[in-house]
Amino acid sequence: MEFGCRDIASIQAGLRARRFSAVELAESVLARVHAQDVRLHAFLEVTDELALRAAGRVDSAIVAGAFDELGPLAGVPIAYKDNMNLAGTHTTCASRMLENYVSPYTATCVKRTLDVGAIPIGKLNMDEFAFGSSTETSAFGVTRNPWELDRVPGGSSGGSAAAVAAGMVPVALGSDTGGSVRQPACFCGVVGVKPTYGVVSRYGVVAFGSSLDQVGPFARTVRDAALALNALSGRDPLDCTSQECTLDFTANLAQGVAGMRVGVVPAFLEAEGLSAEVKAKVEEAAEQLSRLGATIVEVELPNAKAAMSAYYVLGPCEAFSNLSRFDGLRYGYQDAGHDDLGGQYEASRAVGFGPETRRRIMLGSYLLSSGVYETYYYPAQQVRTLITQDYVTAFEACDCILGPVSPTAAWRFGERSDPRSMYLSDMFTVSINIAGNGGMSVPVGVGAHTGLPVGVQLVAPAFRDANMLRVAAALETVYGPAPTAPGFASERAGD
Amino acid sequence: MAQHLTEQDVRRMAAYTRIGLADDEVPQMTVELNAIIDGLEPITEYDLEGVEPTFHPIGDLSNVMRTDAEVPGFSQDEALMNAAVREGGSFRIPRILGGGDA
Amino acid sequence: MRAVSEVLCDWEAVIGLEVHCALTTLQTKMFCGCKLEFGAPPNTHTCPVCLGLPGALPVPNKAAIESIVLAGLATNCDIMRRSLFYRKGYLYPDMPKGFQITQGPVAFCMNGFLDLHVDGPGAEERPDPPDAPQADGGYVARIGIERIHLEEDAGKMIHVGGDGGRIAGATHSLVDYNRAGTPLIELVTRPDLRTPEEARLFLQKLRRVFVALGISDCSMEKGSLRADGNISLRRRGSDGLGVKTELKNINSFKHLHDGLAYEICRQAAVLESGGTIRQETRHWDPVSKHTIVMRVKETADDYRMFPDPDLAPYDLSDEFVARVRAKLPELPDQKAKRFMADYGLPDADARILATRVGLTGFFEAGMAIAGDSVRMFAKPLANLLVNDVPAAVGTDESFDLAASPLTPARAIELVRLLVDGSISSRQGKEVLAAVLRDDEDPAVIVAARGMAQVSDIAVIESVVDAVLAANAGQVARYRDGKRGLIGYFVGQCMKATDGRGNPRLINEVLARKLDEQPPAHPAS
Repeated sequence: MEFGCRDIASIQAGLRARRFSAVELAESVLARVHAQDVRLHAFLEVTDELALRAAGRVDSAIVAGAFDELGPLAGVPIAYKDNMNLAGTHTTCASRMLENYVSPYTATCVKRTLDVGAIPIGKLNMDEFAFGSSTETSAFGVTRNPWELDRVPGGSSGGSAAAVAAGMVPVALGSDTGGSVRQPACFCGVVGVKPTYGVVSRYGVVAFGSSLDQVGPFARTVRDAALALNALSGRDPLDCTSQECTLDFTANLAQGVAGMRVGVVPAFLEAEGLSAEVKAKVEEAAEQLSRLGATIVEVELPNAKAAMSAYYVLGPCEAFSNLSRFDGLRYGYQDAGHDDLGGQYEASRAVGFGPETRRRIMLGSYLLSSGVYETYYYPAQQVRTLITQDYVTAFEACDCILGPVSPTAAWRFGERSDPRSMYLSDMFTVSINIAGNGGMSVPVGVGAHTGLPVGVQLVAPAFRDANMLRVAAALETVYGPAPTAPGFASERAGD
Repeated sequence: MAQHLTEQDVRRMAAYTRIGLADDEVPQMTVELNAIIDGLEPITEYDLEGVEPTFHPIGDLSNVMRTDAEVPGFSQDEALMNAAVREGGSFRIPRILGGGDA
Repeated sequence: MRAVSEVLCDWEAVIGLEVHCALTTLQTKMFCGCKLEFGAPPNTHTCPVCLGLPGALPVPNKAAIESIVLAGLATNCDIMRRSLFYRKGYLYPDMPKGFQITQGPVAFCMNGFLDLHVDGPGAEERPDPPDAPQADGGYVARIGIERIHLEEDAGKMIHVGGDGGRIAGATHSLVDYNRAGTPLIELVTRPDLRTPEEARLFLQKLRRVFVALGISDCSMEKGSLRADGNISLRRRGSDGLGVKTELKNINSFKHLHDGLAYEICRQAAVLESGGTIRQETRHWDPVSKHTIVMRVKETADDYRMFPDPDLAPYDLSDEFVARVRAKLPELPDQKAKRFMADYGLPDADARILATRVGLTGFFEAGMAIAGDSVRMFAKPLANLLVNDVPAAVGTDESFDLAASPLTPARAIELVRLLVDGSISSRQGKEVLAAVLRDDEDPAVIVAARGMAQVSDIAVIESVVDAVLAANAGQVARYRDGKRGLIGYFVGQCMKATDGRGNPRLINEVLARKLDEQPPAHPAS
């Protein structure tokens, strides 16, 4: 079996038993990435040198008998969404604006994985500045869905989902502002977790919506995602919004769901635009959980409808402000040949930013302008209070909420060109970013109609992310771990 | 579709955000922005009387501060490594027309 | 143009100040751990945060929050427990993130005031003082403080190729981000100031308070204290508000006064000739003594302010505020009151000693040495510091009392010699000059010069007797009413004692002997 298709436990067992070295592992993963990624374009940069160096350190630890001291990701190949700074690599956010920017520093989430022995394989494609749900807005070309190459992998963390689904890496990191981890995980049939806001530091992750962004892992198994969370989580003195978190996310994965109360939101299952196959999968997952001993309860999120508008107010407002720093002076694209600053600014930002980015910046600047602020931004923050309260109330009646991730399975390239129809694909994911709760996508097989992967969403009470991981692990006992996308599965069984 | 923004507004917004929009891009941008803003209207229809805003989804977290102790930063070369144009130890920028406050 | 005091008889000036003060005494910047250092080579104190690199996040400096709370407590503000940092959009090369982190409608400190004591010739600028005149002819005005908020400073730009470093005509500019992220407090007054003198005194008083608090060096030269002035005029008796102009980036007390005085006269001239004032930003040019238009404001600036999602809200505890309050030092006004009460100093001396940065510590050190004699020594020491030292130093602007040979111990020694009559006040000045020049103790100087004053009453009496005997004619004329001759006798006595006779004793003895009935003449 290809290394990237193995789970963390089997990789670490092989290293520990010296069946292969970390350098051999890294070389094999890099070779596969170089060979396979021409079909997908999940990677924007492959960090061969950094990978081999990190692998060398792991091998030294093995030789010194200190392998187990490295930590939960010792020897685990990992790749990062390209909005995460890793010193010495490009951090492009899939934008012309940052095409030549080389990070002089490393994001906390990246550092934490490296500190516990992970092997950095490269940087992954995304929608430009994470604005999108399909990875089609990348300035450097789309990423293809490994299940069907003419379909989108979802977005904005499409490269991360595709790399894991194609068996190139066992773990990848993404960021989720309105569904950008969960929806591509759903489209590519892998596990994708957006932890509660504050569980993972945002320091060094290029901001889209600062009050909405949260970093999370993609993996093939729930346990691997939980191991990655163990490495990632915890208070970071460099991020004021990060919080203390000493949970072992793997602790209760094997406990099963007997006695748990799993909520379903009837209005979500009746929502306009929800495809029959996705609805059927959610209902099936509920039945499976019930069979495993969970109690299914109906809960209401009466203000969930407002979440979409609140999200499309708050996201652009924060994005407009976060992207004001890109002026092409200290870093980033600078349009040549201007002898005055104003002209240089305008040309650099017009050329450096793609159309979706420009649209969101302009929208945000409008929504925050005086007189308009009171009409949209302020009410959106009031709505946030209502939505947060909805979740608090719902979680009095249940321990976890089950629902759809995306209304449909992955669509074909170009199928959704109208920005608004694309925005609608976020309808089930954004309210969780508004409230800050943890949510995840867990694969439940393929849709009856499309044959494409479908995931269901599990949502946890704030800072009780372990609840959803426990339910996800139970579903995994039914549906199995994420399969490698058919066209990328190794012919060989075992190594 | 409601007309929230005129083309003139869009031009002003472009100027404010320092994004050079070509004349022929303005009509389409205006249509797109108006369509998006239409989609935001539900937010204006909620009865939010007396509802406090939540600016931070971080619960009761407050007063997060650091102690006043120096942390090593960048060398001059590191600071300037991504500069488009540097001159000596500084970032060089073209002349600024139209004044400003400086 | 007319003099400002004349203009202000017809017009009332409505002046408000916005004062920026960099918290230079902190170790690090507002939102990152970069060192605060003035004058370092460009871009040597930066990091991802203060360079505004993508992905970097701010973390507030606790000591800066403590500093602004101190500033608020010292200026009678309400300390707002709950407040937020906001982002203020501002796309300019000196602002690395494209926005400035500042505070929103609620600042850490709100609704304060300072009382100004306005006296001297400057008091005459105001024809309608707000209260009953003080003993010295001055008045007291209470100036409201709207708010003090915390924010971050911008980087520094150098404009190259233009005239005198100005932006106009420059070929290009250089940007240095060492200053970017320096903690700044901005104080906004209510429009309660009525004269340029009040504005000047307010800024001076504020500077003294901030220096006393130890939160800033308040150097106007280095730009760590800067002020903007808003000013409008209205006809005396009306209470509407006129259109205001803003004087930006004033970097000296004199410029603040002169710039505002110019604006008052300029605006009055425009209004009196039937013109209108435009809302604009102006710059005071101290060379040409004019204000120059920088920018006309046609619409209000729209900064797209919103709460910064990267920063947690503040909810300061009573305990936090109490801990800061415990660090509050004695402020100049309180010090002056204590000097009056404890040392019996007159109001004017007490205020000078309590408020002049270089004098306060010296005076207090002197009092600490004076022991039981504080009440006796306070006034002579005040005279020494307020009058004699400046007179001895003259126009030497480089003089620094703290670095001079005159230590508090020497000053007290000198005062002791004066008080116990060992030397005369004239000799005191000579000794002071010698101390400053030769770096010697006063007692050593007095001994070396044989200056010790003659205060032995028997010696003085014999000198007086001898002088009166040798000048029988003058004595007779004195007794006939030529009282002015007393000076002549004193001079003769001083001459007879080589200038060391105690003048007070000589005067006393002379007066007594001259006023005695002359000894009966032998019958003639």
